[in-house]
Amino acid sequence: MSASPPTAAVPQTGAAGEAGAPPDRGSRGAAKRRSPGVRGGERLAGYTFMIPWLIGTAVLTVGPMAWSLYLSFTDHHLIRGGSWIGFDNYIAMFSDPMFGRTVRVTLMYVALAVPIKLVASLAVAMLLAQKRRGMGFYRAAFYMPSLIAMSVGIALIWKALFSDDGVQDSFMSAFGWEGGGFLGNPSVSILMLVILAVWSFGAPMVIFLAGLMQVPNELYEAADVDGAGKWQKFVRVTLPMLSPVIFFNVLMETVGAFQVFGPAYIIGGEAGAPAWSTLFYTVRIYTLAFTDFRMGYASAYAWMLVLAVGIVTLLMFRAAKQLVFYAGEDK
Amino acid sequence: MKRHQYRAKRRTLLTGATGAAALGAAAACGDDGPAGTADDPIELSFEWWGNDDRAEITQQALDLYQEKNEGIKITTNFSDFPEYWQSMTTRMAAQDLPDVFQMDYSRLLQFGGNGMLLPLEDLVDTSDFLDGFLETGYVNDELVAVPIAGNTLAMMYRTDWFEAAGVTIEPGYTWADYQEAMRQVTQNLAEEGKWGGGDFAGQYHFMELWLRQEGGSFYTQDGTALNFDKAQLTEWWSMNEEINADGSVAPIDITTQWEEDGMVLDALGSQILWDNFLPWFAPTIQENGGELALAAPPSKDPNNIGLYLKPSMQFVIGANTEHPEESAKLIEFMLTDPEAVKILGTNRGVPATNVGRENVEIDEIAQQVLDYEASVSQYLTSPPPAPPAATGSIEVKFGEVYEQVLFGELSVADAVDTFFTEAETLLASEQ
Repeated sequence: MSASPPTAAVPQTGAAGEAGAPPDRGSRGAAKRRSPGVRGGERLAGYTFMIPWLIGTAVLTVGPMAWSLYLSFTDHHLIRGGSWIGFDNYIAMFSDPMFGRTVRVTLMYVALAVPIKLVASLAVAMLLAQKRRGMGFYRAAFYMPSLIAMSVGIALIWKALFSDDGVQDSFMSAFGWEGGGFLGNPSVSILMLVILAVWSFGAPMVIFLAGLMQVPNELYEAADVDGAGKWQKFVRVTLPMLSPVIFFNVLMETVGAFQVFGPAYIIGGEAGAPAWSTLFYTVRIYTLAFTDFRMGYASAYAWMLVLAVGIVTLLMFRAAKQLVFYAGEDK
Repeated sequence: MKRHQYRAKRRTLLTGATGAAALGAAAACGDDGPAGTADDPIELSFEWWGNDDRAEITQQALDLYQEKNEGIKITTNFSDFPEYWQSMTTRMAAQDLPDVFQMDYSRLLQFGGNGMLLPLEDLVDTSDFLDGFLETGYVNDELVAVPIAGNTLAMMYRTDWFEAAGVTIEPGYTWADYQEAMRQVTQNLAEEGKWGGGDFAGQYHFMELWLRQEGGSFYTQDGTALNFDKAQLTEWWSMNEEINADGSVAPIDITTQWEEDGMVLDALGSQILWDNFLPWFAPTIQENGGELALAAPPSKDPNNIGLYLKPSMQFVIGANTEHPEESAKLIEFMLTDPEAVKILGTNRGVPATNVGRENVEIDEIAQQVLDYEASVSQYLTSPPPAPPAATGSIEVKFGEVYEQVLFGELSVADAVDTFFTEAETLLASEQ
């Protein structure tokens, strides 16, 4: 994921910058000089430079996606191939007991991981937005976990932390917890993955941080003059000014959470141990495709996910129209 | 707080390794062209499932092979049974199987039926195999696997624990007798973290045994459907309700976290399992001060225990190999070279070749296995046809669904429905 917020998220100081204006001031002059239109030669050069990217996209992304869309309408067996069966795969999903189960696990994860992670990353970003000595070090330190969180090594460490008599069990037992390690307890095992997600809040934190730095100081000063307290300043100034960044983060994190695979696969395995409680939708896709060899059905599963994430994204954009404040809009 | 220390052992690492392999999406390996000199050796890959002990002696045998055959270098890899198959199926999809690897009877059709195994006729010398052992290596009338050893199901139990509880296992004992035995042993142990046995209903092999005891089978003869009804599965999966409820067997939330076999961990007093596991488990169990014995598994009918002799493991060659002859030679070496046989011993079971039987050192434990097999030989009936290609997945699903019951996530009735839906879909997808 890129670490830069959408340009729309950056309110232009003072001036009525419109949504979508480029964030850096330096490029404005350049844009003006070139504005009459790009010459043919330059356009050609532009496309030429894009060729490697275009090939990569076609071969590695668009091609496979089109192929899997086709496969989702077949009963393709990974080794032996298959034939066209229309919408049968999609229909079969509704009588598939595993489908509902994996959807529930995934939704539960999204519903828990995304809000907690965002609240945590915003809170830390607010702490790190202060001007103190050594802040660079703290920012790097808090960002660090996100670089390694999705690795196999961390997933294994996680298993050890949350096993019976592991760190979590010992700690919580001191407060009377009797559920043992999360690793063996299906009613709470998903929390392992939620905590892992929250711990790796680096990416949204950096984005929040950038957003916080852009909130004009005048607004806080004006609020001070009006006698606003800390909480009021947060609710009335920070949140509205930050709302485009929040929206971006919510969107990216939600889309990402739907697709979580690596840690879930290593911690819970194909069985989603214990008791299918970490059987994520993506893990099921993997099992269907590469263990059961039902590539056609797995593709249908995958496209169902695309559809679901698409709908969720669309709903979010709808909601954003009401909730997100872009500086410069009349409201 | 619960007892039972977490053991971050090899399996943990292997889970990760498998995950890494899966995430790396089957990176291709394999060098170009055969060469076969000391400077530019032919590389063969050889993989198996098993534990550290097995890895050690296997490596010794392979070292010997490389000493004898200059210009051949063998790279090895091994993991636990479940991880092994997760990785193999992924690599099968990528057509990136090892040159030589260990095969399980239940997976033979999945790999062989999809053309992933090299036909071994005329490639591997099969003249030395004991009668009746080779038959299970055929898929579509082609020999694609050779047996390493034979095995059959048995009851393995800790005589020290059983005797202390005053429990004996008499021939002809029933499933209910076994449950009662576990209960008494557990009560007598009266020690946290130790039980007379574990819940056995999550293993499809044991249900197969149970079905065979009344003349049934798990799959229909042509392997296209399940050969039992929902009522039978309900009966099988309800069988252990009581011993689970009163704590006579190890509870599921503990067993799922075990990184090794419960008996090896000194936590279980008995279990049904393949008799060739005895040489594998015995050393550790004896170190823990345990004494072991083998008996026939429980039965409904003392005259029909439902047992059959099957290959414990087989060696196969991946169809994508670049070195079929060297691979075949490696297989022959491990099964028929007297020195190799000596090194490998009975870890994979008592060998299936004449040379193997003559040269293998039969220690006390191996003798126990041989004695056991002799004692039940009159009950051995003909093996079922090679299980359908979907068996590997069905076996996994069988265990997973039963786990839902043990965790209380599904009622037995719902679990039975779920399993039937899944199994029927899986069987259909392989036809």
